[in-house]
Amino acid sequence: MLHDLELISVGKTYPDGTVAVSDFDLKVEKGEFVAFLGPSGCGKSTTLRMIAGFEDITNGEVMMMGHNMTHVPPEKRPTSMIFQNYALFPHMNVRENVAFGLDVKGMPKAERDRKVDRILDMFNLDPVANRKADKLSGGQRQRIALARGLVVEPEILLLDEPLGALDANLRRIIQNELKLLQRELGITFIFVTHAQSEALGLSDRVVVMSNGVVEQISPPQQLYRRPQTPFVADFIGSNTLIEGKPLGAGAPGFGRLDSPVGRIEGVGQGNETLAVIPAEAFRIVPQNTDGEITLSGTLIERKLVGAVGHLNVRLADAREISVEVSADRPEVRALALGASVTLGVDPNSVTLVHA
Amino acid sequence: MQSRILRPTLAIYTAAFLLFLYGPMIVLAILSFQSSDGGPQFPIRDWSIYWYQHLLGLTETSRVSQLPVGDSLLRSILLAFMTTVVSTILGVMSAEAFRTKFKGSGPAFYLIILGMMVPGVLVGLGMALLSNTLGIGRAWWGTSFVLHVVYTYPFAFLVMLAIFNRFDRSVEEASLSLGVSPAQTFRRVTFPIIFPGVLSAMLFSFTLSYDEFSRTLFTIGSQLTLPLAIYGTFSVEIYPNIFAFGVLTTLFSFTLLVIYGLLMKRFTAKAARFKGQEEN
Ligand SMILES: Nc1ncnc2c1ncn2[C@@H]1O[C@H](COP(=O)(O)OP(=O)(O)OP(=O)(O)O)[C@@H](O)[C@H]1O
Ligand SMILES: [Mg+2]
Repeated sequence: MLHDLELISVGKTYPDGTVAVSDFDLKVEKGEFVAFLGPSGCGKSTTLRMIAGFEDITNGEVMMMGHNMTHVPPEKRPTSMIFQNYALFPHMNVRENVAFGLDVKGMPKAERDRKVDRILDMFNLDPVANRKADKLSGGQRQRIALARGLVVEPEILLLDEPLGALDANLRRIIQNELKLLQRELGITFIFVTHAQSEALGLSDRVVVMSNGVVEQISPPQQLYRRPQTPFVADFIGSNTLIEGKPLGAGAPGFGRLDSPVGRIEGVGQGNETLAVIPAEAFRIVPQNTDGEITLSGTLIERKLVGAVGHLNVRLADAREISVEVSADRPEVRALALGASVTLGVDPNSVTLVHA
Repeated sequence: MQSRILRPTLAIYTAAFLLFLYGPMIVLAILSFQSSDGGPQFPIRDWSIYWYQHLLGLTETSRVSQLPVGDSLLRSILLAFMTTVVSTILGVMSAEAFRTKFKGSGPAFYLIILGMMVPGVLVGLGMALLSNTLGIGRAWWGTSFVLHVVYTYPFAFLVMLAIFNRFDRSVEEASLSLGVSPAQTFRRVTFPIIFPGVLSAMLFSFTLSYDEFSRTLFTIGSQLTLPLAIYGTFSVEIYPNIFAFGVLTTLFSFTLLVIYGLLMKRFTAKAARFKGQEEN
């Protein structure tokens, strides 16, 4: 099966010796929406720019639809890139900006005009078509950049934090538009962001990166439910991480861990040394509830926000953990600061990972 | 407190600066309207445009020979023009090259800049000796031209370097990623954006070459450029015709500046054209 985009242990070392990316493996199918997510400086932009052809690839290979693109210059790749600062041409008006790619290719005027008109219409840009691009609002400029990048009909659209410069409201609106657009056009999107909500809300799969390496590639729900590395467990959602000694396998598919706060069972092989418990997996239970992992401690803080109660609990070994429980339960209401509580967790929602 | 002393001091300084800058020019302009029997000093015997006519060869035979500027003026303009073209192209190209660090870019930078730092007399003399040894004839379009380029190219280079420094590379990358070749990207994206800088580099090159003296002096051969031709007349006696000429060249320079200003304004106005619409 031919993948739209395939990175084969791609690496990048900058001339100054900085290793920005190493051993990056990824296969993307046609029409997939993939997000690169990670903290600042982890190599997201570098990877995207290697796909676009703006950075030389130090190791490995980039394939597109079965063709080796590793040493092909950017203008000959079937990719189109959208920049965070939009990078519109300041000396052209909106229409000229959008038409530029087709114009240079020498497309007949009638055909070009038709395509440009259609895309201007699609992005609601016809009222401003004759304005200078740099005199428009952020949202409008964002749309111009998208229209300009899409009108040349790329196979793969690369977006480097395209919503970074917009306010929260506009961000949400354009996020929705992007998602719809991508479904409609069936183009492969590679989307770089360091905003979790953006990556998890928009994409079919998320590539979580840290320090130039891929930590995990999964659909968003899977990232929440089954983190594969301590980094992902820490970075995505709000999890409690408890380390311990492996105790071997338990029930089929489960492993056990001996931790300072008691025995913990979770999904794994039994040789892992870290248990990951999502904050929302905790419940308040009577002591010694069967079939559950129980952790006892003291309530030291309680905040009720709407239907969610945020509790801080100090466990037996003095570590503090944050948990989220449903706020309208009587046992939550009854809790007083300083009271001892027992937290129960279903082993199914616990994931064991290697530290 | 401080400004009570600082302000008047600065004001006086500025006034003095302007006086010394424009004083000689004003005196020169006044004296150029001296009558035909007057000398190159005050008092003005009578106001006339005699010396302007004299300059252009419109007067009856005169005791003063005509200023030999016709050919040298053309020569100087042509030389300045050639220098401008070559220096600007070189300046743009090398500044473009310096946008990415390359091996030896540090030393290369200082080698280029040296061209404007080395004393003109030395370079001129060196070139004269070199052409002698190699048996190359000296001429304004040869030896002098080379030195003019060596001298003005660093200025053009520095101007362009400053322009590229503020240039947003992602605009070029956007063009490339639309499938536009690097050559077309330069022509249709980069160049229009850096054009004001190119104009400035051209202006620098032209004016520096136009009144270059020391480098030219040693390398010119027999056909002189304007500054040298004028200098030559000093060895005889000075008449107000030279002032008249000074006024005319100053006007020429102003014209250049005005053209530059208009082009710049047109360029920036083009960029701002739609601003007004939006504010309405
Ligand atoms: N031109 C360069 N030369 C040397 N090092 C670089 C260069 N560009 C980036 N780096 C380094 O490579 C690493 C990855 O940078 P990159 O821009 O890919 O990060 P990023 O994940 O996009 O971060 P951000 O979210 O802040 O945009 C960083 O450590 C950065 O300092
Ligand atoms: Mg980045």
